[in-house]
Order: sequence, then structure tokens, then C-alpha cells
Amino acid sequence: MRSMGRNETAHAPADDVSGDTEEFDPIGTLTLIGIYFVILVLAWVYIYYIEFLGRDLVVVG
Amino acid sequence: MHIHAYEKLWLAASVLLILLLLGSVTYGAVGPGVAMVSDSEPAIDAGGLDEDERFSEPRVEQVGENEYEAYVVAFQFGFQPDPIVVPEDSTVTFYVTSRDVIHGFEVAGTNANTMVVPGEVAEITVETDGAAEYGIVCNEYCGAGHHGMEGKLEVVSQSEFDDRTSGGDGE
Amino acid sequence: MSEAIEGDRTFADKFPEEARIVRAALLGSFLALTLGAIFGIIQTLHRTGIFRGLIDSTDYYTSLTAHGVFLALSFTTFFLVGLFTWAVVRSLDRPLLNTKITWTWYGLMAAGMTMTGISILAGFTDAIDMSADVLFTFYAPLQAHPMFYAGLAVFIVGSWIAGADWFRTWLAWKREHPDERIPLQTFMVLTTMAMWYIASSAVAASVLIFLLPWSLGLIDQVNPTLTRTLFWFFGHPVVYFWLMPAYLLWYTVLPKIAGGRLFSDPLARVVFVLFLLLSTPVGIHHQYLDPGIAEGFKFISMTNTMFLLLPSLLTAFTVVASVEYGARRRGGSGLLGWLTDLPWRDPAFTGMMLAGLMFAAGGFSGMVNAGMNINYMIHNTIWVPGHFHLTVGTAVALTFMAATYWIWPQITNKPIYSRAIGLFQVVLWFIGMALMSNAMHAQGIMGVPRRTAEPEYSGFDYPTMFGGFEELNVQIAIGGTLLFVSTVLFIGNLVLTMGNPKVSGLAETLPPALSGPDDSPKVLDNLRLWVGIALTLVVLAYALPLAAIINRGGLLGPGVGTYPVWLSPALDALANAAASVLGAVGDASASLVEVVR
Repeated sequence: MRSMGRNETAHAPADDVSGDTEEFDPIGTLTLIGIYFVILVLAWVYIYYIEFLGRDLVVVG
Repeated sequence: MHIHAYEKLWLAASVLLILLLLGSVTYGAVGPGVAMVSDSEPAIDAGGLDEDERFSEPRVEQVGENEYEAYVVAFQFGFQPDPIVVPEDSTVTFYVTSRDVIHGFEVAGTNANTMVVPGEVAEITVETDGAAEYGIVCNEYCGAGHHGMEGKLEVVSQSEFDDRTSGGDGE
Repeated sequence: MSEAIEGDRTFADKFPEEARIVRAALLGSFLALTLGAIFGIIQTLHRTGIFRGLIDSTDYYTSLTAHGVFLALSFTTFFLVGLFTWAVVRSLDRPLLNTKITWTWYGLMAAGMTMTGISILAGFTDAIDMSADVLFTFYAPLQAHPMFYAGLAVFIVGSWIAGADWFRTWLAWKREHPDERIPLQTFMVLTTMAMWYIASSAVAASVLIFLLPWSLGLIDQVNPTLTRTLFWFFGHPVVYFWLMPAYLLWYTVLPKIAGGRLFSDPLARVVFVLFLLLSTPVGIHHQYLDPGIAEGFKFISMTNTMFLLLPSLLTAFTVVASVEYGARRRGGSGLLGWLTDLPWRDPAFTGMMLAGLMFAAGGFSGMVNAGMNINYMIHNTIWVPGHFHLTVGTAVALTFMAATYWIWPQITNKPIYSRAIGLFQVVLWFIGMALMSNAMHAQGIMGVPRRTAEPEYSGFDYPTMFGGFEELNVQIAIGGTLLFVSTVLFIGNLVLTMGNPKVSGLAETLPPALSGPDDSPKVLDNLRLWVGIALTLVVLAYALPLAAIINRGGLLGPGVGTYPVWLSPALDALANAAASVLGAVGDASASLVEVVR
């Protein structure tokens, strides 16, 4: 679809905006970003609780 | 303002993630008791360390039962004392300052790590486990010889510690 | 409609003078990239011990200073001023008010960076008594030649005039279009520059009040913690200054290349407002392990930093959704099957997507950096450069290179010499950085320090964790070499492009957002309000720490010496003489501080 020959403008044309918004559910995006979320949480738990707190010479004061 | 339901979901997850991060750091502070280098020590005259009671003679000193203090001076390009010798299963507080530029004091591979700023004294307390040898590196660029600036931390048994301190090698 | 349909006319056709400025800025940026890449390959081979024959280890720090200043300041900022000029003129669809002013700021920035660059490069030769081996962060009391600081000041003043130029152009547009929303790209430019004014004021003050007079011998000492804190007041928001042009491209150009449109204009505005508000009151997170700063200030800084994750996390969603929309319109289907319906052969698209992917990884190491006490594990280790080579070194740099393949034809009317080489180049960057950055993170956890010519020590060996030290060194060297080759391909492709004949039909347009600006609250465009809140947050985050630091060490430091890395003995004596005369000024002001205290 290369036919959208309009600029990003101060006033977006009303005709195709509202319709599209309701139609499009970015389920693929939600899936991808959900995977990212799980990776972040697991990686954080590993690096904070296992790698960091498990090291020698923890600074306690 | 129109925000898609999925995006609201993601926003909520993001806030949850941020709370997890803040919660972990707080847990580290109150659970295992990890404390930050802070402003606990008053400022010091970096040019006058020779007259300072603690830093004119960098050393390890026993201050209580199983409690030791290490007064460490960082300079271009080394640490004093070197090596730093402390006994195992003890509580050691490092007081580290610089007599010239900004340095780093990092016991490589451990969590003992602090900036060393002239005019300030960094105070960090650690608990040692069994006997071990660690390298100390300066991890802040401090001049042309920076890469050669290293020291040693030796955690030794109580008997060896007593031998070495009474043996008169300066510690 | 504020703008006419662009039709077949490119930016160069419509705004030839502005296109010339954009070209000049981008070329300045690519010159800096070339120099930075040369130092990069020297360092990657030297540090890892693969080849140490080209420079002495003592000169490594001259190289490292050049690498940091040319890439982090020059490459990024020159690209930014070019891109922002393009974005303002394009989205307002009007020329700049007065291009004499435009050429003035360009000239100042170029002159300033040349001064700073010369003072750094002179460090390679003993023939001139000049050097600036103080690295990108120039922490006192290491002292550079005065020209290093003077050049930085001129460079920053140039960037301030650039911002004023864009603000004036916007105000002129506003008079012509009183009731319209600020076009999105211009909105992004203005919020970024507002953030830049706030952030750079601190480093300008540090340079002009303390470091430059001190390097000239007018005052004989400075407070290292104070100048360091003022640096980081600037040093964290500057990373968003690098990142915002990349965000502008991800929000406004990437969806178009993917065949889609921006998912949400209002959220894009919210994100930029959040960056304006939160970028600056976080700098103390670079000083978590500094003595002389209370733990409470560090905790406040961490909280702000963590909330600064929000705009980036929101961006991830909005940008990916915009791309997904493009893929669906191209016939993509399935939960993830649409990923195969994207223009992966387009170097601009693939480059930006890979840059975004790396930014997601960099987000994780950034969270670790931001976590106050976990900083003990990685502070000043090579983990940190591992992190920012993912962010500024890929999210920003790779996006800029990818965007060049899209934008360059429109500002020159010349098609890219080889899009195939372009595609190969961006993928090569990704692979090279994946290797280099991964190994740097792993070495960092082992405790290997950053910023050192020879990270191996005589007295101890590093523990083996994710592969041994040596093995990771090889990974770093291979990655760094691939990055260098990628840069050479990029520059070569661009040089050959310049030899192409001019053609017509290269015009590109940008589609409006799915959810347009009319859907966003008007208050988002109230820049005065946001700047006011941003300033308030900065005062809340910094007033007490700065007061405490000055109270502890004095404005001019607690008896800290001066360690010039540039004076010969003869000059040294001269400077000492001058310092003793003029030092009286310093003493007087120091005693004044005593009295006030």
C-alpha cells in the first residue's frame, strides 16, 4: 500500500482516521511485547537475586 | 484521548515492571542490608593526607572483636597498603581516599566497588567469608598509567593474619 | 490542511537552501563517524591485546577521548541538527526565517568541534604542548588544554542558536496558522530542544565558571565532586538528546517505510513530554557510588530514572504497532506471521528495526545500571560501555545510518548507489554489535574495568563465568572489526552516491497518524507548562544535592591539586607563576564561601 500520498499534518484528514482506529487491533504487537516482558522479568530476577546478591563481599554499611 | 485497550494493558505492565525494579532494590537494602556509599564521612583535605591520623599511614586496624578498619589511599598509580590483608569471617570497613585525582576502588569480581574522589572519603563495609585472594583495580581513568594501577586484597585465616601483623610487615 | 500535497517535488526541490544546510550537517556528522570509527578499531584491537603495535598504551587514552567526543558529541549532534532542520521545515512546510542565522550556528558548532578536536588530536604528538586526554567526561582534577573546554563551550552555544532558529521558525508558522496543532515532527524538535537547554546549562556553567578559568590558571583548584555532578546533570539527558532524533525517525518515518502509519499521534506527544520532564532530574544515578552524596538523593534519582523507562516502553508498543499495521496492509496475517510481510530488503527499514531490537536489549542492561545497589556489581566495568554501545552505538547510530538511505536522496535528488550494500551494511553492524556488546557485558560481570588500555593485570586472574576473559576478548575484537567494516561500507556507499547523477521522482511523503493530533488533549502542546514543570523537577532533584556538595567541599574544592595532562615543564612553571598571582582571586572567593557558610 504505497498510495497514501499525504503528509503528516496538523489536521489529519478525518475520513480515514476514525474508521481505521476502531478496526485495527495490534494483537501481534501485544504478543511480541508480552514475550519481551517475560524475558525482562526473568533476566532481572536472575541478575539481581542470583548474580548480584550471590556474590562475595556484599556491601552492608 | 483515545488509547487502545492493548496499549493500556502494556502501560499497566510497564508500571508493574518499574515497581518490580524499585521493589527489588528496596528488598536488597532492607533484606540482605546492602548499603550505599554515602556522605557518612566528612570532607578531607586531599593535600594534607600526610598529617591525617588515618591516612598518613595507610593500614588495617582491629577496632573490635572480628571488626577491622582498612585505611586505603589511592594515588597515581597504585593503592596503599598493598596488599590489604584482612582475616576471614570478619567485618571490614574500608575508608578509601585519593591524594590526587579521581580513582576507582573495585575488588574485582565482587560487590566491593566505589569511586575514590579527592577531598572525600568513601566508606564501605563488607563481611569476609573464607580465605581468598582478590585483585583490586582502579576502574576510573586516572592518567596515562591508569592501566597499571592495581592492588591486592588477601583474606587469610586468623592465625596467618596474626602472624603477618605481628611479623612487622607494616599491616 | 496546513500543507499542500508534496506531489513529486523532493525536499531539495522545495527548499534548496535548507537542503544545503541539512547536507552540510549530515556530512559533518559522517566525518566525525569516520574519525570515531578509526579510533574505535584501534582501541578494540589494542584493548583486547590482539594488536598493540599501532599506539602506546599511554596514547590509548588520547584515542579514547577522540572516540568519545567525535562519536558521542559530534556525530550525534551534527546528525541531529541536520535532521531537525529537515523535520521542522518539512512538517511546517515553510522555509527557515533567516538562513544567515542558520549558517552562523552551523559555523559555531563546526568551529567549536574543530577546536576541541585539535586539542585532543595534538595529544598524539609531542611537537605541540597541547593535549586533552581527559576522556569524554573530563573529570577534574585531570585537566585538559584550555582550547578543549573553549571549543566545547562554542559548540554548545552553536546548538543553542540552532534551537532558537527552530523556535523562531515555529513561532512564525504559528502566526500564520493560529488555531492549528503543532505538527508532530516540530513538536518533537521543540520538546527535545527545551530539554537540551535545561540540560546543557549545567555543563556550560561548569565549563565557563570553573574548568576554563582553571585551565587558564585564573583559579587554582576546583571541587571535583561539584564539576562531576554538573557534568552528569548534563550527561544523562544528553543520552536522550542522542536518542530523540532516532525516536522521531521511528515514530514518523519507520511506519511509512513499513507501509503503515503511526499508530497514535497523542501517545507520541505524551512520550516526548515525559522525556522533557524526566530526562534531567536523574543524573545522580551515574554517581551511585560517589562518596559525599547522601543515599537519599541517590534513591530519588533512581525513582525518577525508573519512571523514565515508561516513555521508552510506550514507544516500543506504539512503534511496533505502527509497523504491524503496515504489515497487515501489505497482506500480513497470523499472530506473528505478519513479520514476514515487511520490506526486509529495504536497508532503511531493516536498519531501523534491528536498531530497535538492540535498544530492547539495551533496555535491560539500562535497568541494571539504574538499580541503585546492583550498581556495585557493574559500576565502571566494561558492562557500561557494553550497554551504551547498544543504545547510542546502535539504537541511535544504526537508525541514523538507516535513515540516511531514506533521507539522503530527498535532500540531494541522487539515488543511493547500492541499496544491497546498504542492507548488508546494516545487518553487519547488528552482528558486529551483538558479538562485541555481549562479550562486554559478560566481562563486566567478571569485574573487567572500562576505559583501560590493558585490562589484564599482573597480580590476579579474572574468574571464569560466561566464557573466559581471553575468549571474550576475541569476541570483542571480531565484533569491533565487523563494526569498522560496516562503517567503511556505509561511508563508501555514500561517497559513491554523491557521484550519481541527479534524477527526479525521489520524493517521499509521510502519512498522517491513525489516531491523529485532534485526538490528543490541547494541553500537550502547552510547551510553557511542560518547561515549567521540568524546571521544577530539576530544582527538586538538584538544589539540595548541589547545596550539600558546595557546603562540604566549597565552590573550589577541599585542597585538591591540579593535574594537567598537557603542560610541558617550562609552561608549567609559567602557569604556576600566573596561578599564584591570580590564585588570590580564588582564595578570596573561597574565604567568601567560608564567611557565607
